[in-house]
Formats: sequence, structure tokens, C-alpha cells
Amino acid sequence: MTVSRRRFLALGAGAAAGGFGTAGCGSQRSLGDADEITLWTWDRSVSDELVARAETKGIPGAQGFRLSRTNIGGHFNTKVRTALAGKSLVPDIIGINSDVATYFPNQDVFVDLNDFGAAGLKSRYLDWKWNECITPEGRMIAFPMDTGPTGLFYRADLLQEAGVTTDPKELAARAPDWDGFIALGKELRKSQERAVICPNIRHVWSIRLGQLGSKFMTQDGRYIGDRDELREAFELAYRIGRDGLSAGAPEGSPDLYGVITSGRQPVGIGAVWWGLAFPESAAPKTEGKWRVADPPGGSGNVGGSFLAITKYSKNPEAAYKFITWLQSPENQVKAFTEMSLFPSSPHSFTRPEMREPRPFYGGQRTIEVFGPSARRVRTVYKSPYDRVMDPVFAAELANVESGKNVDTAWRDAQNTIERELTREGAI
Amino acid sequence: MGLADALRGKSVERRGRIAKPPPDGSRPLPGWRRYWPMYTAVSPFFILFAVFGVFPVGFSIYLSFMSWDGIGETRSIGWENYAYLVTDSDFWQSIGNTLIIWLLSTVPMIFLALVIAYALHTAVRFKAFYRVAYFVPNITSIVAMTLVLGSVFSDSSGLLNSALRAINSGEVGWLSDPWAMKVSVAAITIWRWVGYNAIICLAGLQAISSDVFEAAKVDGADNRQTFFRITLPMLRPVILFVAVTSTIGGLQLFTEPQVLFPVDDNGNVGGPGGEATTIVLYLYQQAFVFNRFGYGAAVGWALFLLIAVFSVINWRLIGGRDEDAIGTGKRKGKSRAR
Repeated sequence: MTVSRRRFLALGAGAAAGGFGTAGCGSQRSLGDADEITLWTWDRSVSDELVARAETKGIPGAQGFRLSRTNIGGHFNTKVRTALAGKSLVPDIIGINSDVATYFPNQDVFVDLNDFGAAGLKSRYLDWKWNECITPEGRMIAFPMDTGPTGLFYRADLLQEAGVTTDPKELAARAPDWDGFIALGKELRKSQERAVICPNIRHVWSIRLGQLGSKFMTQDGRYIGDRDELREAFELAYRIGRDGLSAGAPEGSPDLYGVITSGRQPVGIGAVWWGLAFPESAAPKTEGKWRVADPPGGSGNVGGSFLAITKYSKNPEAAYKFITWLQSPENQVKAFTEMSLFPSSPHSFTRPEMREPRPFYGGQRTIEVFGPSARRVRTVYKSPYDRVMDPVFAAELANVESGKNVDTAWRDAQNTIERELTREGAI
Repeated sequence: MGLADALRGKSVERRGRIAKPPPDGSRPLPGWRRYWPMYTAVSPFFILFAVFGVFPVGFSIYLSFMSWDGIGETRSIGWENYAYLVTDSDFWQSIGNTLIIWLLSTVPMIFLALVIAYALHTAVRFKAFYRVAYFVPNITSIVAMTLVLGSVFSDSSGLLNSALRAINSGEVGWLSDPWAMKVSVAAITIWRWVGYNAIICLAGLQAISSDVFEAAKVDGADNRQTFFRITLPMLRPVILFVAVTSTIGGLQLFTEPQVLFPVDDNGNVGGPGGEATTIVLYLYQQAFVFNRFGYGAAVGWALFLLIAVFSVINWRLIGGRDEDAIGTGKRKGKSRAR
């Protein structure tokens, strides 16, 4: 229905040409002035104050260099890939989301941080997070930013109504594993008929997957996504749906917020940022009623991000100085207080700012849950092909939730994955 | 010959047509040397079109025979992308979805647009207000609008289901039921485009000479007869235009399903079961979520083929007849048989 497509293209072309004219189309490979270390990130991924300091006062430890940050709006990955494919005007540093393994096949577009002595900083950071930065070939292509250790979020007032303990320790002891969590859900139904424990069953799958010691592939490229452990996780998700403990809210829909604001989901396992994204921003009126406890079934990690230096960088040394300064334990605390980005350095867990009681959680020191939870996360190898496999399992679980037979769904998922991996040349 | 000469349009035009030797007896310059100012004047568009139009089109043909993740080296794989395409059930599902959504949106929309145009044409009061009111949805940000309508359609907290509950009829899974999802997308599409198409139809209506309507009135035709016997046939070229552009647009549907059913953390698109995944949304997912740029390009070319086929069908169904009618009487008879 876009009639004036051609004119639209022409206008766009005109604007782009104008841009070229002023920017100059030289052969410069790294973006920005000679003394500028350029950084591309998405909104709320780094401390704005620290970045502003590096922009105005220069990069600490790298004389004569200052930072220039660009906040990339939507489609971050696409824009980064476009810049990298162009091999010209590439930023010195880019932010990478939790899918860092996607870049493993193209690891040579990044510098190996070990060349700058990164190994010496290893003890400062969580092991599992550090290991995610390292390719199977042993190159360290990324540096840890924030993490997403999981916890059990719950509404103390609603639990009290149902006659369930509201003490974090006691609750964790009561629901140490998923069966206990399901039993807790059923208990809650006594006082609230429609109570659920998860927004949809894919959520159960992804949380459970994060608790396991391995994902879909081994480091030497063998597919292990058909093992019993995963089949059990798949069926666990199905069972929770069957028992009516899932709200069946589609991913990304407003219903995800609806179940939280209405109190229909009084308990939920989520990463530390989940609290901010859901109850804190969608249900501010519930302030003081939430608590967190150790998650049933063990700790896991959901989300988190990294910084990487591209090989086009005009001065990778200075870029490295900036990254290590920005992600030092004390500055990660700053990022936490300013942006709620949970640190990847356990050294910061003991800082007073991290240990402040949180009013939204009834004055609970939530770090006492998330800190140990973050330490307990296991090192898991994530393969570059996870991005192909994740959606297959998620889509089949969505089908299960709308009535598909769970055995058929599992089989279909395995077949689709075999087909996809063959096509990618992975197996 | 200089720019000043070129700007004296008349003389240039004359020379261009007849190519007489200049009066001073010298031989005529070759074309490009005579006309360079004009070529220069029109060149910006063509240069930009080459860079941003022709090149991407050509490059996407090249890309559709490659395997490329967007950063690394391209690897030639021949027809493999296309071979995979014809056996890709997700791709066929996206075609099916697109066609269903297209039918659900285009047919009622053209009908509604005609009715609205007719009403606008005959309305006596607040003409300008109504025209603006119907056109406003088309210039509103589609993303913002879809977000708002998304909460209207939302399953358990949506306005629509609340209304359904209030009148005691069952809830509909507007964002989870395979058919209702398509209806939701189609409804947003209609809402956005019906006014636009109504304005085009209105323009067509106003172009019809009032003599014809007066003649019909004198002959005793009522409103209905006038609409079906006079207005509709005379509007045929406009309807063709609306149908073709709606088809092309409908097959390229992207924003509405993309915003209504956002890409989730896993990279799935088009809502539960991918039931609202349109072809372009599928292309977007393959190329920009899964970084399969070669395959995405192949999907793009499949879409191109589909649009070409549909445009021809449209043209034969609606326009072909009209064109025949203008031609010889014999062919007119033949087309009637069809």
C-alpha cells in the first residue's frame, strides 16, 4: 500500500548522500577522530555518568584519548554487523548482548584481550561470566559487563493470605526444587483460584535451561540437545502448563505485565533485572510487598552483556584501558546504583552501596540473595548455533501450550534442529 | 554550447528533435556533448538511484546464491537457498499467513473505501472534516498505533475482551488464536488504509462528469442503480489502482505484525506458532535476527515473484476488461464471456 515507494527511496537516498558529503568518504577504518575512542552501546547498558566523565576528562590511564559514545537505538545487532561488514568507520568498542557466542565464527574481527594482559584480571570477575568471553580457540574476544543471576520473586502479602511462610530462607527451604515450586503454586490456589507461577511455559524452559551445566552443544561441536536432562526440562514446562500454573501470556505481550500488576502471578523466578522490568516499573503500587529468595532448582543466569574491541580500533590499548576502567569492581557498583546493572565482579558485592536495604522489597538486602546466586551459576558452553536452536524449542513449547502433544512437539523440535544444524554446516 | 543555451529550452528542444546542423555550418556535436547540462541536471536522481536502488537489487540477486552471516566471507552455494526455500515449511506458512491476512484486509477494505468515498462525495455538511478524519490514521505513526491497538486486542487485559465479557459472550484469543491473530492484523491494516483508499476513490468519483449522473437521474435511476450501474463501472480504473497497490502493500505487510507480535528473546516472530508471520517478517527474521542474509535475499526474490504474479492477476481481473472495452467491439464480446 506504500504508493510513493520510489519517491520515498529517492528522498532517503538524497538524505544519505547529504550525510556522505559532510562526513567525507575516506579510507579511514576506525570511526571518530584520531584521539577519540568510539563506543557503540544500547540505552541503559553502561553508566551514563562514567561515560560522560571519559568523554569530557579523557580516558583514565590512556593519556590523550577521550571517549565518544553513540547510543544506538533499535536494531543494535544489525547496525553493528553492517559496520563490521563495511570494514570502514567501525567503532573501536561495541557492546554485545548475552549472545556473545554468535560472534565466535567471526572472532578475528575482534582483538584478543589476552594480548593486553586481561588474564591478570580474571580473579576479579565471576568465573562463568569470564569463560563466556573466551572462544573455543582460546581467544578472549569480549569483556564482562553486567549479569543476570536469578532469584525467586514473591509477593509477601499474597503468600501470607495463602498461609505460606514469607521468610526468604524458609520459603527457599520449602521450594528447593521445581516439584516444591509446583506444590507451592498449588498451595497459592487455595486463596487465589487463578494464581499462576509463570507467565508462560517457555519461561519455565528458559529458566530451567539456565540452571543446567550444559546447553545444546559441547565445545567440540557435538549436538547434545536431545539428552534426557533436556527432555525432562521440556516435560517440566509441559507439566506446569497442564496443572494450570501458567498464565499462557504470549511472549512480549502486555499480558506479561497484566499478570504481575493484577497479582495473579504472586511468585516468579526471574533474573535480577526482572524485578526492575516488571514489578518495579509495571506495578509501583506494590512497593514494599515484594521479596526475593533463592530460586527453586538452583541458580542460573539470564541476560547480561559484554564489551568487545574491534580489530579496526585506532588504539586498542587505549580502548582496553577504558573497558577495564569502566568495568572495574568499584565502577560496576556505580553502574548498579545508577542503572541497576548487576555487577559481574563479586568484589563489588560486599560494597555498602550494594548492601543497602531495598524499599521496594520491604527493606530486604536483595544482594544477600543475588550475590550468592551469581556465584553459584555454572560455566556453560554456549555455541554460535544456539541462536538457531533456542527459537525452535521456544516455538514448540508455545505449540504445547496451545494444545500440541508434548511428545510430538519434542520430536518435531529435534527434527527441525537436525535440519537447521545440517543447513548451517554445524553437524 | 553552454548552460545558458540549455536553459533556453525552446531552441534546445527544436535541435533535439530535428537535429539540424547549426547555422554556422559546423557539424553537430555528439549527443552527450550537446546535452550534458541536462544530463547533469537530472543526474543526481540517477546516481542515487543507481547506488541505493539498482545496486542493492543487483546485490540481493548475487546474495541469494551465497551463504553470508553479515560479517564473514560470502560463500557461493549455488541454488541451495532456493532449494531450501521450496521445502521450508515456515516459508510456506508465511505465504499462507500473508495471503489470508491480505484477503481478510483487502476485500473488506476496498468495499469500505468505496462506501466511504461515496458517502464523502454526497455528504452535505462537514465535508472537509470527514475527509481529514478518515485520512488521519494513514499519517499517524503505525508503530505507536499498533502498540495502542495491541493493548485493545490483548488477550486477558484487552479492551475488546473486556467488552466481550461485559456482554457475556466468550473471550477471543486475539493475540493467541491462529485465526483471531490474523483478524487482528487485518483489522489494523484496514484501519490504517481505508481512509487513504477512500480519498483516492473520492478523487475518482469527482472526476466523473456530472452529466452522466444527471442523465441517469433523468432516466429515473435510483441511488442504488446509480451506484452499481454508473459509479462502479466508471470507477474501474481507480479500483484497479487501489486493488493493485493494496495487493502490493498487503503482500509486503510487516510493521503491524512485527509490532503486535514482537521478536521475542529467542528470535521467534509472528506470535504463538508463528501464525502472524508474514513473508517480509520472515525475511526480516532470517536476515536480521538469524543473520542468514543469503537466504533472506532468496525470500525477497520469492516475494517479488509472488507480487508480480498477483499484479498480473489483478490486472487481468479488473483492468483487462476495461482495456478490452476501449479496444474493438469484437474483443469486448469475448471478454464478457469470460
